[in-house]
Amino acid sequence: MTNSPASQPIVEFVDVVKRFGDFEAVKGIDLEIMPGEFIAIMGSSGCGKTTTLRMLAGLEAPTEGEIRLDGQVMNDVKPHDRDTPMVWQSLALFPFLNVRENVEFGLKMRGVGPDERKDRAMRWLERMEIEQFAERSVDQLSGGQRQRVALARALVTEPKVLLLDEPLSALDAHLVIRMQQVLTKLQRDLGITFVYVTHSQSEAFAMADRVVIMGDGKIAQVGKPRDIYRAPANRFVAEFVGRNNILTGTVTELAGSTVAIATPAGTFTVSAEGAALPAVGATASFVIAADLVHFSPDPMAEENSVECSLISEEFVGSVMTLFLESKDGTEFKVQTQERVLANIDLKATGRFHLGWSAASAHLLGE
Amino acid sequence: MGTKETEKKKRGFETFAVVWRVPLIAWQTVFFLGPLLFMVAMSFFVVKNYRMREAFEFVSWAKMLGRHTFWDAYGYTLLLAVCSTVIVSLIAFPAAYALAFKTSATVRRWAIFLLVVPFFTSYLVRIFSWYVVLAESGPVNSVLGFFGLGPFTMLNTMFGTMVGYATLTLPLVVILQTVSLANIDNRFIEAAHNLGCGAFRTIHAVIVPMAKTGLVIAALFCFILSFGDFVSPYYLGGSKPPTLAILIIDTTKSGQQWPRAAVVAVMMMLTLFTVAFSSIWYAYRKRGSR
Repeated sequence: MTNSPASQPIVEFVDVVKRFGDFEAVKGIDLEIMPGEFIAIMGSSGCGKTTTLRMLAGLEAPTEGEIRLDGQVMNDVKPHDRDTPMVWQSLALFPFLNVRENVEFGLKMRGVGPDERKDRAMRWLERMEIEQFAERSVDQLSGGQRQRVALARALVTEPKVLLLDEPLSALDAHLVIRMQQVLTKLQRDLGITFVYVTHSQSEAFAMADRVVIMGDGKIAQVGKPRDIYRAPANRFVAEFVGRNNILTGTVTELAGSTVAIATPAGTFTVSAEGAALPAVGATASFVIAADLVHFSPDPMAEENSVECSLISEEFVGSVMTLFLESKDGTEFKVQTQERVLANIDLKATGRFHLGWSAASAHLLGE
Repeated sequence: MGTKETEKKKRGFETFAVVWRVPLIAWQTVFFLGPLLFMVAMSFFVVKNYRMREAFEFVSWAKMLGRHTFWDAYGYTLLLAVCSTVIVSLIAFPAAYALAFKTSATVRRWAIFLLVVPFFTSYLVRIFSWYVVLAESGPVNSVLGFFGLGPFTMLNTMFGTMVGYATLTLPLVVILQTVSLANIDNRFIEAAHNLGCGAFRTIHAVIVPMAKTGLVIAALFCFILSFGDFVSPYYLGGSKPPTLAILIIDTTKSGQQWPRAAVVAVMMMLTLFTVAFSSIWYAYRKRGSR
């Protein structure tokens, strides 16, 4: 972050398309990644996120468009001439080399002498707290330890950009949390750019400065985790991020920046702050995050309210999710702390009034 | 009752296993171990007046191992087999590499099928074909003569012997190498490129170590087949100087010296066992275990 001006992106995708025969894996993406950023590219399998990462590493050539690294067009640069080491989902540690030799590999390829190689590899193994396994064979290590070897091997050449392809997907849940801490700390200390591909929302939101949501070969939204959660750009993102109430209806009235939308569950007001105002009579969708919906057994004086019956509930940690249904059959989700519900007998009450402010609702784009 | 039934089941299973093992064990005992032991015993027999007599004397061993002829033949045979192993492995590798990485699965299947075809014809027949092809007035020298080269003497030379060995072993070595290279997970090769290892360098930095077991086994087959072969050095190499296999035949022909021939054979077996054991140990050796 210190050696290049922050205004100059380190990675640029300009209208990049990748086709495999008739199949279009990446359908024209534009993306700028700034130096020192932790970017997570997230999407379900087959959305083109891994292909995007592989193009950045040079393992696939883009069919159309341009990929720039540090301002330089990389389209025709061979993978071994790039400085974009990758941490692989399978780790791909060489079984015929021991731990230290694996870490030394990148340095050896760059012509670094044996003594310096060993020193630098050992420093990284120490940093990863696995120096005692230096002379072991890779298959004698646990999953978490191997993960650290893979990180050391990729970082030993001190690259400007590190690529990570679902590196935590093979680990146990408790190790994932540990490694998330290791990765965030490492990224902050080193100040280098991390491009992290994952299908896991919790990983992406926990670590990344910005998240790129991909679907069907296109970028659906780029933004800070908070913004994506609170203000999803479109229905795809809103559904992908989950635990949201998405309603669709016809625009009936415009009053300032507030839009009234008639849905089967009732007419609700939605703030269109910062979004393009739809025309009266047009179809529009909006989303209310499940934790912004208030509820009560009694009718409430909110800008928007709807009466629902309780279908079921889900209890994880201290968070409770209620699944409800309005008279017309529209589903609603409400998320709250367990202690809020402590003095309400859910089963006996059965019917609830849900309420939310126009500002809590977010108008969706196409 | 439950345990009784399990016991019965177990006994039934054991009978099944034994029945299927017996033929193999019997075959190996009668046709391999038996003759081998007999050969070792025969090397201690003595020959008097062109007749072999059972004994336990070291006469043949002393006679053979004390002779230049034997050690010259031993050295030459070893040299030929090592050269054949190295040359054939080197010639086979680019072909196997191309088949494993540069062709589609369909092309690879067809290539492996075509590599099996040479085995349809007797090895001896193929060697006699070379005898015609490589002759002083044969097609190879005619073509070279057309360009003003040669004629070259190719028969009765070490070159001729090598052509014969390659005929015997090359298809097999290419198949074995192709299979072991095709089994390498492509992600390791990509990982090497990603860490700055160029395409050519990846071959010795990653591909050869990854395929080590298969490549060593292929080379071992080449060595074993070449070391024991009689046909190539005899017909294409002109048996000058003789190899161990030729020495065995010469020894039995001259004065019924079966015990001396047995000494040569036992020495060959010992060499093959040593080479086979050490190369298999090397092929499966793991790195960095401590």
